[in-house]
Amino acid sequence: MIGFKDVTRIYDNITALRKVSFGIEKGEFVYITGPSGAGKSTLLKLIYLAEKPDEGTISIAGWDTDTLKESSIPYLRRNIGVVFQDFKLLANRTVYDNIALALRIRGYGETEIKERVHDALKLVGLRHKTDSFPAALSGGEQQRITIARAIVGDPTVLLADEPTGNLDVDNAAGIMKIFKEINARGTTILIATHNRELFRNTGLRVLWFDSGNLVADEEG
Amino acid sequence: MLYSIRLALKSLWFEKWIHMLTVVTIGVGLFVLGLVFFALYNIEGVASRLPERFSVTVFLSDRTGEREIDQLKARLSRDPIVESVKFISKDEALVELRSSLKDAAYILEGLDENPLFPSLEIRLKENGFDRKRVEALIDELRRLRSVDDVVYGEDLLGTIYTIRSGVKTLSAGVILLFSMAIVFVCYSTVKILFYRRKEEIEIFKLLGATRAFIRMPFLIEGGTLGFMGGLLGGAGTYGLYRFINGLVVTDFPMLGEMQLPLGLVAALPLGGAVLGIIGSTIALGRLKF
Ligand SMILES: Nc1ncnc2c1ncn2[C@@H]1O[C@H](COP(=O)(O)OP(=O)(O)O)[C@@H](O)[C@H]1O
Ligand SMILES: [Mg+2]
Repeated sequence: MIGFKDVTRIYDNITALRKVSFGIEKGEFVYITGPSGAGKSTLLKLIYLAEKPDEGTISIAGWDTDTLKESSIPYLRRNIGVVFQDFKLLANRTVYDNIALALRIRGYGETEIKERVHDALKLVGLRHKTDSFPAALSGGEQQRITIARAIVGDPTVLLADEPTGNLDVDNAAGIMKIFKEINARGTTILIATHNRELFRNTGLRVLWFDSGNLVADEEG
Repeated sequence: MLYSIRLALKSLWFEKWIHMLTVVTIGVGLFVLGLVFFALYNIEGVASRLPERFSVTVFLSDRTGEREIDQLKARLSRDPIVESVKFISKDEALVELRSSLKDAAYILEGLDENPLFPSLEIRLKENGFDRKRVEALIDELRRLRSVDDVVYGEDLLGTIYTIRSGVKTLSAGVILLFSMAIVFVCYSTVKILFYRRKEEIEIFKLLGATRAFIRMPFLIEGGTLGFMGGLLGGAGTYGLYRFINGLVVTDFPMLGEMQLPLGLVAALPLGGAVLGIIGSTIALGRLKF
């Protein structure tokens, strides 16, 4: 599903990732962890093509970065749902419109959009917030709206960058439960987090990073 | 597509002040363009309707016999481009000259002999006027032994035609300049809108929006701005035309002859839309992912 082969990403003179290689199968649930600055976010950005590798090759869902044309990027991104660390919700649009946007850019009809948005909101437990604006929501609620937007288009891969970053324990547990449900439907999930509590005793696979190096790959 | 239109309309409403300013600017620009086209159209119209254009005077040599004149008259009357032919004898020419000199006719007093030539005045048909055929006819006449000289009205209008071509060149310049100005106004407006929505566009891209999807609302916006500017400019042109027609006709009958083709009024919004879309396209440039 996702393959990294000797991938290096250098910002100016900081090596964010150094010769990283690993593979992830379809339907896996994988944690990316390591201290702050280890390269976790960079790794996710490379997958959703916000960054390009300086060396090496990344393959995603049958495509690879060596042969990918810029005009195909939008279509590839539609297979990848992203829960951004800073949410990236549009402040001047309602919850409904924020989630619907992911489908509108795909050219869906409004009837289908309505159905899917409501399903996604139900999954994250925020049906009653349909017409609210992001600013009126708590951090945990905004996080869940972001998840709803990421999954509304049925992506094959879901990426989440520090999804519990500034949430209390209860909220974090709720979010993780949602991810498990999504994974149970067959979606491959990658979660970048510095919080070890999240994966302790889960029996899930963990990729450990430090200073841009993949230092351990613990199978669950 | 429908969603693109909605986005464009939303932005048009949301940024209405910027847009109002743009529309007025474009409107003024297109109003000037409208006037230029209006002027061109009328100069062209007036020039093509000037009576001199349709008359040719054939000066005959003094010794031309009556039979020869009749033959020539008959030949000309049969010509499909000729409306009518009139013979003016030496004496008639003198009478005419006298009457046109009026009080100054005394300068002709000392003449023992009539110095004028007999002539044929040809009126050309106005329908289906074809300058090439007229010139061919004139060439043919010039070669005749009995013909001394041929004076074609249009040649006398040389100056008018020079002015007309000057006006044309100038107009082309003004049209080019104002078109570029309108493109530039749309360009800057769309550029501003684009930067204002930079964050939004970034999110659109990350969610998998194509270039066309991102661009479309801006193109629709730019086109709409140009179109509305054109409506304004067209209304202005039409208003001015009505004003001239209503008030000034009594003082300047010449102005009453002016015509405003409705096609021109309709072309302004369309032209505005095209210029707006061009400006927006340039403003968007190449989107990077
Ligand atoms: N856009 C950037 N420009 C320069 N340096 C960057 C940029 N993004 C990340 N870095 C650097 O790359 C390293 C890895 O960053 P990041 O992937 O965000 O780490 P993590 O998410 O694990 O905290 C850090 O040292 C960071 O400062
Ligand atoms: Mg990070």
